[in-house]
Parts: sequence; structure tokens; C-alpha cells
Amino acid sequence: MSIAIGAVKLAIDDLGARLGAELGADLADLRVQEPDTLVARVDRRRLRAVAAQLKGLAEIAYDSCNFVAAVDHVTHLETVYHLYSYATNSYIELHVEIDRDNPVCDTICDLYPAADWHEREAWDMMGVRFDGHPDLRRILLKDDWIGHPLRKDYVDLLENHPNV
Amino acid sequence: MEHYPKLERFEQPNVITTTADLVFNWARSRSIFPFTYGLACCAIEMLSSGFARFDIARFGWEVFRPTPRQCDLMIVAGTVNEKMAPVLKRLYDQMSEPKWVISMGACATSGGPFYDGYNVVNGVDKIVPVDVYIPGCPPRPEALFQGILELQKKIQQMSFVAPRIDDADERVATTPAEKQGRGA
Repeated sequence: MSIAIGAVKLAIDDLGARLGAELGADLADLRVQEPDTLVARVDRRRLRAVAAQLKGLAEIAYDSCNFVAAVDHVTHLETVYHLYSYATNSYIELHVEIDRDNPVCDTICDLYPAADWHEREAWDMMGVRFDGHPDLRRILLKDDWIGHPLRKDYVDLLENHPNV
Repeated sequence: MEHYPKLERFEQPNVITTTADLVFNWARSRSIFPFTYGLACCAIEMLSSGFARFDIARFGWEVFRPTPRQCDLMIVAGTVNEKMAPVLKRLYDQMSEPKWVISMGACATSGGPFYDGYNVVNGVDKIVPVDVYIPGCPPRPEALFQGILELQKKIQQMSFVAPRIDDADERVATTPAEKQGRGA
């Protein structure tokens, strides 16, 4: 099956309006960020439901996960999901606020297999635990690394550098 | 053979005397098998030195091997990070003696631009003993050639009859970690 990229011609505002109608309650502060990108905040507990619904939308399915990022806002952590719709050639960013002291988030890697390694990287660098992830190991650092180096309060320990 | 001019001393069957060291060092220094150890952009320079424009084969060092068992020169070309360090050490240990290490570029020598990085080993000489350091970021192929030429000079100083520093016994335990008895 070939996918015609951008086959559905839909202005980004109309796309936003349709998403607002379909998932209105779950997409908070839905707005147009760039000519091809919508941004919305999603509650942590609704993330999986929203992702599944976005993936299953008729015609404009957001069928590809391009990136999963994690951001340290000091007061809280945030995971950001970049989903892409081939049909409309547009993106949606889902911002999910998570607790800094108990950084748990639901996995979406059963919906989007591409999210698997991105979530492992978010765990490795930011210490976000993804509930339901089948293989949440460190991906870039050594298995016995202490700490999560991209956290703002990260302190590097000598134990991480046996050869110094 | 009549038309070749003859040297007087070769008119009869003859014997040439030399030292065993000289013969071995001559052979070793001119048939270096480098180990393909590209870790970052220095590897691009190392690769381009192998192609026609710079042509490492002019010197007889072109036989890059992907296995440590067949190599005697490890060219560490790029940033060594903490996850790579034990692997590098292990591969170095798998190379058969005599073996040499070239630290190519700023990263392998000292960490370079990534000196303060949380995952960077500040110099491959913290893990394995290094024979020649090549500065540059990255060094051009000509710099790599000069480095290997310097290594050739070093190899020609070696003696397997009377091993000195840099030879087998001394070079095994010379990393800082091993000196402190912490193992590597």
C-alpha cells in the first residue's frame, strides 16, 4: 500500500477544528504553532487514549511517531510526542506534564513501535519511567550508570568514570 | 643475467651479516596492519587516507583489518566514551604482540572539545598505552601518515632480544588506573 503524502488537502486551522471536535476534551490549549504543526497539552492519564484515537482517525490518521522528547522544567518534567500524519503532511505535538519526584508516564510503544528507543533514551537521559514498556533499559550510557545526566540537578559521580 | 653489472663481492655465493633486530624491525615497520577503529569524524579522515587521493598503500599500511586478531596497530580515531572504553580495552587485549596504538585527533588524545562531557573518556591513554599522538580536529590524512612514519621510527628502535620500555613487559600495565591498582 502506497501512501500519498499530503493527499488530504486540509488547511491547518480546519484540521485543528476537526481535532478539537473529535478529541476536544483531551487536547488542552490546542493551537497552531507552525504552518504544519498543531500543539496541545494532554493529561498524563489520557495519553494512551489520545494517541490511540489520533492514530485511528479516519482520513487524517496520525500514523507515525517521529520523536519522543523529555524536557526538564525544574518544577516538573515533560514528555513531548511528535506525531506525524502522512495523509495531511502535518504534525501534532503532545505535551504531557509529569511529576518530577515520581516521573512515571505511560508507554505508547505498543501503538507506535518507533517510540520504543525514544522512550529508552528519555529514561536514560531524564529518568522518565514508562509504564508498560517491554524493555526499559539504558540505551546510550553504561548499564550501571548512576543518575540521569540531562536532569538539571544531575551531579556526576566518580563511580561513573572508572578510568579517570 | 650476463647483461647486469655485477658487484665484485656478489660474484661468488655470499653471506650478508646483520642483526636479527634489524631484520624483524624492518619487516614489522613496513607491514603495519591497522585495526579499523573509527569512532567519530577522525574515521572519515582515516578512510579517505585509504582511498586513491591520499593512498595509504604507498607506504604499505593499507591492509585495514576489522578483527583485532590480525592487527598490530590500533588507530583510535575519534571520541572514546565510557560505554566504549571496556570494549576498546578488550579489543586491544585481543591483539597479538607486538602491537601499537595511535591516538588520532584531539578527542582520542584528551577528550578534545568534549572534555567536560559526562560520558567522555578524557584520552584513550587512560585505558591503553599510546605510542603516537596525532594532534588535529580532525587531523588530515597527511598528519596520519606522519604519525605512522613516526611510529615506524619507533618500531625500528625496538629490540626483541633485549626488550626495553615500550616492549612487552612494560607496556601491559601502564594505564593510570592499573598503576593505582584499580584495574581497568
